[in-house]
Parts: sequence; C-alpha cells; structure tokens
Amino acid sequence: MPDSKTKMIQKLFIANRGEIACRTIRTCRELGIRAVVGYSDCDALSYHVKIADEAVHLGPSPVKLSYMDIGKVVDAARRTGCEAVFPGYGFLSENAEFAQACRSAGLIFIGPTSDVIARMGDKIATKKALADAGVPIIPGLPRLKSADEIVAFGKEAGWPIIIKAVAGGGGRGMQRVDSADQAKSALERAVSIAEKLFGSGEVYAEKYIRGARHIEFQFIADAFGRVVHLGDRECSIQRRHQKLVEEAPSSLLDDRLRNEMGQVVVKAAKEIGYVTAGTLEFLVAPDRRYYAIEVNPRIQVEHTVTEMIVGLDIIRLMIRMAVGTPLRLRQEEIRIASHAIQCRVNAEDPKNDFAPSYGTVTYLRQVSGPFVRADSGIYQGCEVPPFYDSLVSKICSVGKDRPTAIERMRRALSEFTVWGIKTTIPLLEKIMVHPDFVEGRFDTDFIDDHLSGLLDYVEDEDEILKISRFIAEVTALGKNPYSQ
Amino acid sequence: MTVHPKKSPRENIAALRSDRRVYFTNTGPRDTGQSDFKNRHTLYDLIRLAPFYNRSGYFSIENHGGARFHQNLLQNMTDPFEEAILWKERMPDVMTQTLVRSTNLWGYRMYPRNVIRLSVKAFLPTVDVWRCFDFLNYVPNMIPIAEEVMKGGKLFQPAISFGVSQDCTDAYYRKLTDEILKVTGGTNEIILCIKDMAGVGSPKRVARLTDVLLQKYPDLVIQYHRHATDGLAVPALAAAAKAGVKILDVTDDPFTRYYGHAPVRSVQALLQEMGIATSLDLPMADKAAETVTGFIGHYREFESQFHGFSYKVTEHRMPGGAFPSSFEQAAKGGFLSLMPQILRGMSNGNRFIKYFDVTPGSQITWTTWAGIVQYHYKEGGLKQVEDLLDLCERFIAQGQSFDALKPEEKESLLGLYARATDDLKNLLLGRYGPLPFGWPADWVYQSVFGDAWREKVARERFEESPLAQKPDEDVERARTELQKGIARHPTENELVLYMQHPGAAVDFIRFQTRFGNTTVLPTGIWFDGLKEFGSEAVFETHGKPNRIKLVSIGQDVDGVKHIVLSVNSTMHVFPVEMPSRKAAQKAGPRFADPAVPGRVASPIMGNVWRIGDKDRILKIGDIVKEGEEIMNIEAMKVETAVLSPMHGVIKEIAVKLNEAVVEKQLLMVLEDVPPEERKGSRTRSKNSRKAR
Repeated sequence: MPDSKTKMIQKLFIANRGEIACRTIRTCRELGIRAVVGYSDCDALSYHVKIADEAVHLGPSPVKLSYMDIGKVVDAARRTGCEAVFPGYGFLSENAEFAQACRSAGLIFIGPTSDVIARMGDKIATKKALADAGVPIIPGLPRLKSADEIVAFGKEAGWPIIIKAVAGGGGRGMQRVDSADQAKSALERAVSIAEKLFGSGEVYAEKYIRGARHIEFQFIADAFGRVVHLGDRECSIQRRHQKLVEEAPSSLLDDRLRNEMGQVVVKAAKEIGYVTAGTLEFLVAPDRRYYAIEVNPRIQVEHTVTEMIVGLDIIRLMIRMAVGTPLRLRQEEIRIASHAIQCRVNAEDPKNDFAPSYGTVTYLRQVSGPFVRADSGIYQGCEVPPFYDSLVSKICSVGKDRPTAIERMRRALSEFTVWGIKTTIPLLEKIMVHPDFVEGRFDTDFIDDHLSGLLDYVEDEDEILKISRFIAEVTALGKNPYSQ
Repeated sequence: MTVHPKKSPRENIAALRSDRRVYFTNTGPRDTGQSDFKNRHTLYDLIRLAPFYNRSGYFSIENHGGARFHQNLLQNMTDPFEEAILWKERMPDVMTQTLVRSTNLWGYRMYPRNVIRLSVKAFLPTVDVWRCFDFLNYVPNMIPIAEEVMKGGKLFQPAISFGVSQDCTDAYYRKLTDEILKVTGGTNEIILCIKDMAGVGSPKRVARLTDVLLQKYPDLVIQYHRHATDGLAVPALAAAAKAGVKILDVTDDPFTRYYGHAPVRSVQALLQEMGIATSLDLPMADKAAETVTGFIGHYREFESQFHGFSYKVTEHRMPGGAFPSSFEQAAKGGFLSLMPQILRGMSNGNRFIKYFDVTPGSQITWTTWAGIVQYHYKEGGLKQVEDLLDLCERFIAQGQSFDALKPEEKESLLGLYARATDDLKNLLLGRYGPLPFGWPADWVYQSVFGDAWREKVARERFEESPLAQKPDEDVERARTELQKGIARHPTENELVLYMQHPGAAVDFIRFQTRFGNTTVLPTGIWFDGLKEFGSEAVFETHGKPNRIKLVSIGQDVDGVKHIVLSVNSTMHVFPVEMPSRKAAQKAGPRFADPAVPGRVASPIMGNVWRIGDKDRILKIGDIVKEGEEIMNIEAMKVETAVLSPMHGVIKEIAVKLNEAVVEKQLLMVLEDVPPEERKGSRTRSKNSRKAR
C-alpha cells in the first residue's frame, strides 16, 4: 500500500532502459506512479518505451550522448514534471555527480547520497570504510606504485596477487600475478588498461583468494539509521566477472555463518550512512573465511532472487526509503524458506567467445508457468541494438529447495525461445545439468574451468524456422536448387 | 506358417519351404525408383505406402540401399537412417530389404573390414533382408558382409550376378552356388538370389538355371530379381516360379516403366492362370497402387530421356539401375545423340573384358565407352566412331584374332583403351578381385598400359582377394575430419554416412543444420516451393500441425530477395541470397551488338534459370537449331523462352545459371556450324525430339 510519503511522487523518471526499466515501470504502476523513460535513437521502439506512461528522446544511440548524458537526463526528468529519478544499474547509477545533479535540480534521487556513492566508487575508500566498520577485507596494497611493492606483498601474503583499477568495477582490467617475475609486466598492463577504461591509471593490489565463492548480502536502510539485511545471494557462476547465474540462498553458508555475516553487513551499512538498498559483496574462501570486496550502492541485476524468497519488492522499498518513509521491517521478520535461481539471458554467442549478438528478435516465446518469473526487455519483432548491455532477459525460478528450483529452471529454459539473435540459453541449460553445479561444487572459476564442456551444445534452432527458411529459398529461386 | 520379420532367418526359410505359395518382393521404393525415376521419390510420398505394404503379404519391401543411399544424401536431402527407421516403424509385419554391392556396400569404393562391420551393424536394427552381390561373382568379397549380417540375426541373401553370354553356363552358376553355400553354411541359412540386373533372362533360360540349382540343392530357396528392359519380364518371372523359384521381384503396377520391375498384378494374374498360388493380398496391393498413382506425376521430369523397352539390352547389358543416370549424364554432357553408338560399343566391350555390368562394373563400362565414343566423335565425327565399332565387330566375328586385320586396323584396336580411367586400370590389375572368366587378352593390357604392360601386370596385379590385404581404416581420423566439416561432434550414424560418401555426407549434414529435416514437406513444396501468394505448406512434425503461408516475394535487390512467410501464424522475413549476387557485384553487364549475327540478347530483365530447354542443358560446343529454345529467363514468375536465331554452334555462354540479366544483355554467342559436324547435329535433333 502506498504510504503518504510515497504520494509525494506522482511521476518517476527511470534513467535506464531494457529489463530493469521495464521492471521498475511495473512497480510504479502498482504504486500509482506515472513512469517516464528516456530513450536514444535506436531505442525508439524498445520495450521500455512501449510500456512506459511517457517517454523523452534523449539523443543519439551512443551512451555518452543519451543515457549517460547527465544534463540531458536531468533535463528530461524536469521537463516531464517528475519528482524523482531512479537510476537502475549501469549507466549513471554509480555516478555521484549525477546523484548530486538530480538533488540540485530538486529531484529525489532513489539511491544513497552522492557522498556515499562517491566513497563506494573508490575502492580504496570503500575498503577503508569497511575495515573501519569491522568488516574483514582482503589483505592488500592501496595506491600501488611499483612492482617491488607487489613482490614484497606477494612474499608476505602469498601468491597469486591480483591488481585492480581503483576506479574500475565489474572485474574489467584485472591482472593476476602468479609469481614475482610477472609483477612488472602485469603492473604495466593493469595501469595502461585502467587508463584506457576508466580514465585513471591508479591501481591497487590484493591477495588472490583461490577457490573462492562470490556471495553477497542485500540490505535495505532507511534515512533514520534502521538497517535490515535480506539474506545472501550466491553469484559464483560468472565469466570474466560477469555473473551469469545467481541464486539465493547460497548453498555454502550455514545459518550461523549467515547470521554472523548478516550482522557484519548491517553494522557496516549503518556506519557508512547508507540509505535505500545496497549490496555488500564478499569472497568466501573454501575454509569459509570471508572477505568483503565492494559495496554496490544501487539496485542489482540479481535482486530478483532475493525478492522471490523474501516476498518483498526491493524497488518499492527503495522508493519508500528515498522519500523518507521509515523502515518498519524487523530483521526477525525476514524468513527464508525457499530457494530461487536466476539465469541471465544475454544476447551473446557463447561459442564465439561470447561476442555480442544483435539484430531483430524474429520470434519470441516468453517463459511462463508456475514458480517462474521473467523480467524481459525484448518483444517479438524488436531490435536488439549493439550499443548497450547484452542482458535481454532474466529468468527466475523458485522452489522449496535448490533441486526443485533447478528443475523448474530447466523447464523454463527449455520453453524460452528466441529466434533472430544468439543467446546464452543453451549455455545456461548446460550449466543447469552440470553435475558440479547441481551438487553445489563450484567456485568463481566454474565457467572457465568447464568451458569446453559447457559449450558442447548444438544450437537448437527451431525446426520449423529451419524448414521455413528452406521453403523461402526454394520459393525465391522458383525451384529446389538442391534436388537439381 | 508365414514369413515375419520377428522370426529368425532359419524359421523364415523353413516357412517359405513349407508354403506352396509364391512370394513377392516389392522393389518400388528402391530399385524401381532408381531404374525409372533416378531415386527421386521423396520419403514423404514413399512412406505413405508403408501401411498397405505392411498388410499386402509381401516377402519383403526393398526400401534401402543401392544408389538411393547416395542419392538421399546428394539430392533428396534425406537421412538414410531416418528413412530406414521410419519404414521399420510403419511396416512392423513385413521384412525390409537392402541391396549392398559386396565390399562397396552403398558407396563406390572397396571398404576394409572394420568399415564394413561398422556400417552393417548400424543398419542391422532396421534392415531384415540383406541382398549382396558382387560384380565379379567373387565370393570372398561377400564374406565380411555375410558374417556381420548372420551374426546380427538377419537374413543374408547372396546374389549371383546373372548374364547370358556363352561364359554364363549352368556349370558356372552351379559351381558359384556351391561356393556360396559352402561359406554361408548351407541352404538352411540363406536365400539365393538370381540377380538379372539388366533384364536379359529368357523364360527358358531362367527356368533351366533354376532347375539346375534345385536339382543339386532341392532345399534351396531361390529368389529371382529381374529388370524389365527386354520386355520379357512377366513371362520370365512366371517361368521361374513354375521352375521352383519361391520369391519374385516385382513392383506396384503404376511404378512400372521400362527399366525397373514387372507389375505385380500382371505377374500374379499370369501365375494364377498357371495354377500357382501367391501370398499377395490383392485389395491391399491395389490400395498401394492407388497411392502410387496419386503421387507418381511429381516425378515425370526425372523419368528417362528414352522411353520404351529395348531388347538390345541382351547385347549391351546395361543394367536397369544405370539406365536413367546414364541418359541424364549424356543429356547434361550434350552427347545424348551418341547413345546408340555408346551402347553398341558396350556390346563389343563386354566381349573383350568380361565381368558383370552392375556397380561398380556398370560405371566402368559406361565411362569407358562414353569416353571412347566421344573422343572419336570429336576427332573424326560420327564416321570415325562407326568405323571403329565396325572394326570391333569384325574383330569379334573373326574370333578376336589380329591375323586378318590390316596394320592400321591393329593399331586402331590397340589404341582403343589408350585413355582408360583409373577404375578400368584397377579392374585389370585385380584391385576388385579376379575377373569371373579370366583376365582379358594381352592386347587389352597393351592398349590400357602401353608397351610396359607386362612388367606392370607382373608387379601389380592381384591374383588373390584384395580385401584380405586391405588394412583397417582409421575411424577416429575420419571422425575428426567429419567433426571439422560440420563444426560439432558427429553421431555414430553420421560417421557411417561419412564413411560411405564423405563429401556428400558433410554437405547433407550442413544442409540439415541450416534447413532441418525437409522430408516432412509435401513433395510439391519440396520441388517447387510456394508458388501462389496465400498458398500454404501444410505438414506435421511430431504429430503437430504446421502451416507456412506465402505472404510476399520481394524484388531482387542486389542479389537478395526477401520472402515473407507466415510461419504458424507469425510473420517472418527470410532474406534469400540469390545465386546472381556475386555476378551482380561484378562490373556491369555486356550488351549484345544487334549488328553482329549470332549475338543472342536477353529480351527482358529477369533471371536465367535454365540454359537449354527442358530436355537438354547446353554448353559450349553444342549445336542448336534455328528456333530452338536455348535459354529461359524468369521474371516475376513468368518464364520467357529465348530462341536460337540460327542453326549454329555455341561459342560462348555469357551468363551463368540463375544470373540476373537486364534487357539486351548478351546471353550467348553462336557461330555457323562447320560442315563436318552437320550430320551429327541432325542425329542429335532427331533424338531430342524423340525424348520429348
């Protein structure tokens, strides 16, 4: 039920596109908020535009000229009379300047303060803040200057060491150093990539945790210092640090560890001064020691699995927290008695080194049926443009336990049909039947370690589509060229 | 007691022996389809016969093997495994039958034992009767197949290649039968087939041979396989049955043409009149016939260029199964008019080198004589060909003695095989096995191998079984090659296809990857696609109905046409790259100069979809008559014939098949016919008129 405070928002500007824009529009509709979206040239006929209440043209297709142009986005929100802006993930979601620009323009920014965003965007600052809040962090070297420092650190903490960009994220540009003699070249590479990708050559080093799992905690905080966590998510199934499968809860954590980590998360969020929803990401070593790695001050792609098992709409909570509604939820009320899995359907060709695959979706059969949820940004006939994130659809399944959720996910994937673009569906289907995945034996290297087997699938193009192609060819030529 | 696929071979042989009725094998789906329709029948049509065949009282249905296997991969785009499985499923109560060419199986080369084992095993579950012949009647070549089939619990049917030369005596066939029964375990284990692949056995000859074999082996079950080419099939089959043959090869009446098999109802009627009962269920046989009548019209264009029986087959011995493909090759190669000479040459050649004209022997005979006749025709016109053939005939009449020949005639004969193919060379070097009636005379070797022939023979000719010395093939290497070709792991069945026909198998699998299983499509759609806007392809997959409707055909823009189909109620656009695409990307078209005679211009803008008329594909060097259709241009589904402006010889063909052309574009360059070729061209035009 919308409370009096959320009534402050009549119109919300969604500064995003694709599935997350569509997903946010749905919450807006439930709350009676009019949803306004922006769109670039190539997105004129995109799904988020179609289902929004109102849309504003932002500019040309490249992100810098449209979705990431702060001036244009803020202007669009104001011109359409919106009271608030929801940034989604990616684009301007972790841009402190954007959050500030919104607030300066009198718009409610649905997310933490620009100060928190700025701090969480700086990995060194994040680590310091986390360490100050008593969260275990990975041993590391801040503000790395020379290869000698790496060598000394490697000797002390043990190889391998990983070098990351201070301004980076999403695992891009990371360099692994396995021994002292690799230190110099890896550092040079890391600096040069960081400069290219993030505009700053500043890098830092951390101990590389072997066999680690990527487990994160979702938390929600109001403006009055109340914080609850919504449990953990397992995100170890990833490729080049891009998550592909997420689930909740993690099969690695027991209740004691889950509670302990949850308390750490809540304490940290409080100390950081966090408002709305966020995520604290950990690496959990095989010995179950855990190390915080970063805070995501925004909605996450995989928030869905948490929603499925706790029964809460996280975006609705974010809107409420942003307008200053106090959090009435108590930690004891968060009960988790089911298991959810999410698969990311990306417009990529896994067999071609995951190259983006764009074009027209010529046929689409969406997932439906009991215990599954589909968050999708595509429709039959739409164009998947080459300019943006390749995520086109997220499939969630839920069950009383993990095996049930896996069975339902297999069923959902087998029904999901997309023609016209290549997708990760066949790869996801392989993961869902892989014995190591099924038995919960995996770490963040799972996909790399099993890649050749996971790619050993035959593209299951629809038989009728193939036959239709044949009929088209014979019809065009006037005669069967194969039977001549 | 009757025969049934669930019974063991021994039980079925015993059942046949105790049954006083005569049985039939229906060869329609395979051998008749091959002999009269180039194996083009779609699985979609053929499989509709299965429910009737299943209850017609046939001994077996020949639905597999021979050239259909290759044809399925090459042009029918049908998986031989899928075809075999479907037949087996839809005809559970009648035996399915294949034809294997001894060590060549369903391919064109001699396979080592491991490949034979792999391939036979793969088809054992779906094929009940395994007829196996060897074109040299060389029994050791059959043994590896016999072993696999009999071990697999299926019925092995060794065939003796039947001929009518003076060498093909009763004693020869009796001895051959002794040998076969010795290696296969006797008359309780096998059915013997007399394979009259050319259709040359007179009623008396066949009856006597049957009698000779039954005198010696009264328990032997004999099947008579006979093509209809000489026009005597029905009486010959009846005579065979009267003499004690248990099973006759026939086909449905409307399948019958000239080179295939006798009509079942005619044979049954004659037998009935003779007081011989048959196992045929007449109403069911008639239902099958009605079904054939319903679909056979689709295949008119694949029927042979020559219609009609030919008693001359008793001399040239071209097997029924090779007739249409040979004619087709002659038509495509532009030497159809030389067929009488080629057949005459074959009648002579089989006196010089003696083997049976059936695969691969028939191919060797065909390429050898088509080559000889064409060579001499090009060198000295029809007269030189006729002179050579006259010389061969005189030489034979004189007992193949050089004594009475002039030196230049001797030289001419010694040059006969100067351009022998490798296959012929291999045959003479025993690579297929020893020849049935001995190696040919020395002059043949001299003609093939030149002056050093003696050393060649001494060094290279196999006198024993070549199979015994053939090392196993590296199956894993083949698997890797195939995997590269199709960009995924091949299945075991795909590997078997690849072992038979590597190139065709890769192309076929790629086709299926792109277009799926097209055998579900109605035959009209398969050959011609959708012609009318709004017309539909209606077909089932896994019992689910599908409707694909033609919505629109786009213009050819830069070599691409966009076809819009409504696929099960959803619109889809299919860009189809036209073969003209590459041509269109090249420099602009050449235009015909109307001032120069013989420059043929395109009357319209369109697509060249045929070079020649419906009977003849033209190529450079061919002679065309004034007013003859030399090309056909299609535009907006309307065909426009381009007629020859003169009687002339083709010097240049300026466009390619399926090329997009514009109005006035140069299509062809013709020149006057040189005087020495005029006679030949007249013969050709007469023949091609006949073919129409």
